[in-house]
Amino acid sequence: MTTQSNQQGSIFILPQAIKTVARNAALQSYGVISLAPANPAETVSRFFKKEADVGILVISEEDGVTLELNLIIEYGLRIKSVADSVAESVKYSVEKTMGIPVKRVDVHVRGLRISNPD
Amino acid sequence: MNEISRTLPDEAERHRLLQSPINGDGLMLLFEAGLLWLTTNQQYVNSLNVFPVPDGDTGTNMVLTMQAAFAEADQNRSTNVGETGRHFAQGALMGARGNSGVILSQIWRGFSRALDHYETMDTGLLLRAMQEGRNTAYKGVVRPVEGTILTVMKDMTTAAEEALREDSNLSEMLVAIVAAGDVSVKNTPELLPILKQAGVVDSGGMGLFYIFEGMLRMLQGLSLDPSGAVLRPLAELDLSHALENVEEGQDYEVVIDFTPNGNFVLDHYYEGLTEIGTSIQVGEGDGIYRMHIHTALDKRYEPIAYTESLGIVKKIMMENLQEQMNGRSKEDAKLALAKVNPGEVAVVAVSPGEGLSRIFASLGVAAIVQGGQTMNPSVKELVASFENLPTDKIVILPNNKNIILAAQNAAKVSVKKIAVIPTRNTPQGFAAMLRLMPDGSLEENEESMREAITEVHTGEITISTRSVEIEGVQVEKGQVIALYDGKLVSSAATIEGALEELFQKADLEDIERITLFYGEGINQQQVNKLGDQIREEYPDKEIEIHEGGQPLYQLIIAFE
Repeated sequence: MTTQSNQQGSIFILPQAIKTVARNAALQSYGVISLAPANPAETVSRFFKKEADVGILVISEEDGVTLELNLIIEYGLRIKSVADSVAESVKYSVEKTMGIPVKRVDVHVRGLRISNPD
Repeated sequence: MNEISRTLPDEAERHRLLQSPINGDGLMLLFEAGLLWLTTNQQYVNSLNVFPVPDGDTGTNMVLTMQAAFAEADQNRSTNVGETGRHFAQGALMGARGNSGVILSQIWRGFSRALDHYETMDTGLLLRAMQEGRNTAYKGVVRPVEGTILTVMKDMTTAAEEALREDSNLSEMLVAIVAAGDVSVKNTPELLPILKQAGVVDSGGMGLFYIFEGMLRMLQGLSLDPSGAVLRPLAELDLSHALENVEEGQDYEVVIDFTPNGNFVLDHYYEGLTEIGTSIQVGEGDGIYRMHIHTALDKRYEPIAYTESLGIVKKIMMENLQEQMNGRSKEDAKLALAKVNPGEVAVVAVSPGEGLSRIFASLGVAAIVQGGQTMNPSVKELVASFENLPTDKIVILPNNKNIILAAQNAAKVSVKKIAVIPTRNTPQGFAAMLRLMPDGSLEENEESMREAITEVHTGEITISTRSVEIEGVQVEKGQVIALYDGKLVSSAATIEGALEELFQKADLEDIERITLFYGEGINQQQVNKLGDQIREEYPDKEIEIHEGGQPLYQLIIAFE
């Protein structure tokens, strides 16, 4: 949980909210097809969880958050370029909309989807 | 770049290669033209970049992607369009840089798939290639954002579909594609609000447009040279940056508005201008052309005579650039900001005027961000000012109550340690600056500065923008009003009147020094006169007058 405060009181932002923002930014980023379960445990638990939970880990610390994204990327793209831009958009979106500093974004490419075999 | 700087084929060879249907060599020539024209316009595309698009320099990224694609195809030359396209797409994939580069590589991937197994390309095949390029590009994203390069590709493909007829040739189809691309690029701000806010069109879409326009220019035999003609709408003609680097032989800037006569050919006009000077730009709007050029001293009248021979000159503007540059360097030299060593405490101050900035600089501020009452700096600007300093302990002085919040947000976003001193006006900022201890800890500085700002009182003189009654003071629109520590204390017809009342309301008992910072809307003589009156009335106080240069507030007064 991330806490901020202003003159009126405190603001608590839960990881779930950060995940939703990160997820949206990731899916709008070019080349990202979907988020993927981070590990076998998540593969099983995804049947019981909300969609927004899968594939994103949020580690909150005093001075910001670290995000881990697990992605399926479109086959036939330069993976590095896609990963770079998704990391940057996610960082920007989270910082802009929530005002929380993002310390790191780790991108794990869990697979590729082939929609254009050639 | 080496592999593409070879000379382009001559006129006859060009005609032969681009005879529809074209083969692999012809396709290479088109690709090369797209690359060259994009390179020519690279900086312009870069300038359209809107923060946060994770693509620092769209133009550069697209050029690098196109270069890699061209180099790969160039090493595997084939007269077969299928082969050529395949290598081109392969190169684009390997060299894709940035978001737009990746999308561009997908467009070429689809494009080349349609060409597979074909010897030559005619209009029908170009259309299929465009369609495949569009489809493949859209498959790469789950939630396509419209108003981007994708939209431009889609609109250009639709135009190609409409342009396909039995007898149409490649040139005609490209004319339709480029025309649709132009409309589509201009429409991108309507689809993507962030572009509209920034007042630009989408950079990736613009880049794609230049690639296809380059191909068309090649077919039409137009120049792809960096010095070649670029006709832009008048509104896009940005002459403000033209000043930045004035080189030898650029003594005068001449801008001419004119209406050309019937047989005006832009490219010929351009060629003529290149003989006269540099930094040539031509814009068009409502039948009027605007030409911009830098010339040497002895050639400054030539563009006028030359343009008069081609049309009716409506308006001429001429400026001595050297003189302007000299003036400018002087201005810059005055603002000597404090040097900061790593580990020291540095101060960033928001300043509404040049004179105030100079005072801040003389007090040891390390960075100035322009901003004030009606021009609040963005969080981004503030964060950038923090990041540029070589220390991680930074004090920010917002110097306006409307900027304090932005400063606090910037402090949160920044990875550095930032102390926000809630200075509500410039005198408080100055008072805080006097307490700066660069070698102290951030906490010590913050505590001391917060204390300092309670010890200074501030008067402000401005013109009321509406009629209102606050705390018993009746104000008519257009009257001069005085504020004391942010509270309205008087209104009067003249500055003298408002000032007199302000001094009565202000608690002057323990005040030793009164400093007047004068801004826009009042001149030095007037202020000196006011200063004399105050001296006469309060002989025991020390009166100082400084130029503040701030807008809206005729006077900012510090009582210490």
